[in-house]
Amino acid sequence: MTVMDLNLLVILIGALALSSAIGSLLTRDNFYSALYMSLAMLFVAGLYAFHDLQPSVVLITLVFVGAVGVVTVAIAATYRAQESRRISFAWALLIAIVSAIFVVRFPSSVSFKVLSDGIGFLSTYLLVVIFLLSMMVLVMLSAIKILKEVGR
Amino acid sequence: MIELAIAILVTLVALLMAISAKDIIRLLISLELLFAGVFLSLIPLFAKIPETAFAILVIAIFTSGAELLILISAIVIIDKLKRGVEIQKVSAGGDTE
Repeated sequence: MTVMDLNLLVILIGALALSSAIGSLLTRDNFYSALYMSLAMLFVAGLYAFHDLQPSVVLITLVFVGAVGVVTVAIAATYRAQESRRISFAWALLIAIVSAIFVVRFPSSVSFKVLSDGIGFLSTYLLVVIFLLSMMVLVMLSAIKILKEVGR
Repeated sequence: MIELAIAILVTLVALLMAISAKDIIRLLISLELLFAGVFLSLIPLFAKIPETAFAILVIAIFTSGAELLILISAIVIIDKLKRGVEIQKVSAGGDTE
């Protein structure tokens, strides 16, 4: 691919991220807003993937989209304004088929490289990661304590 | 450079969403989008100082996780105390009469 094509690819991924953010702004339902937000996060991770920053892609996808995004979607679904819709079985089947194709065709060498990069990062920044995880657990315990006190 | 322009635009959309939010859930979503803008603005830093940029990214991700935990607690508490999550029901802060 030429440099021009690569620049076009960055612009395309960026435009998709921006469109998802605008979709999140314009939709009235919180649930769809959270879904669009998760989509925008995935495109941000896609931009990191374009620059071959694989540990960052894994972190953003797993922690930001996987944990933060899913929890936000769950909360938005709890407090959504409209009635929930039934999921079409045909769409679920299509998603299952596409996921199965991705699992079969995904090159295993990429995942091994990502894993080795992640292990390298953990060995270098082990103390920082443990400190940040401890802070997260502390915040979580404080939140549970506050919720218990409010519930009384 | 393109990433910085996209980061600014995403941040602007998130700020617009934050100031036009009618309930706290939408505010939470806008804050997460703001973090997306922050992540995008970090990409050029990887070209100059990759290790520092990665450390900043890790700290930003954990900060967003902690922010989410605190906001979830705040949403549940406000829902219990005020019987709703609308912004209008929160009168404490700078807009009290």
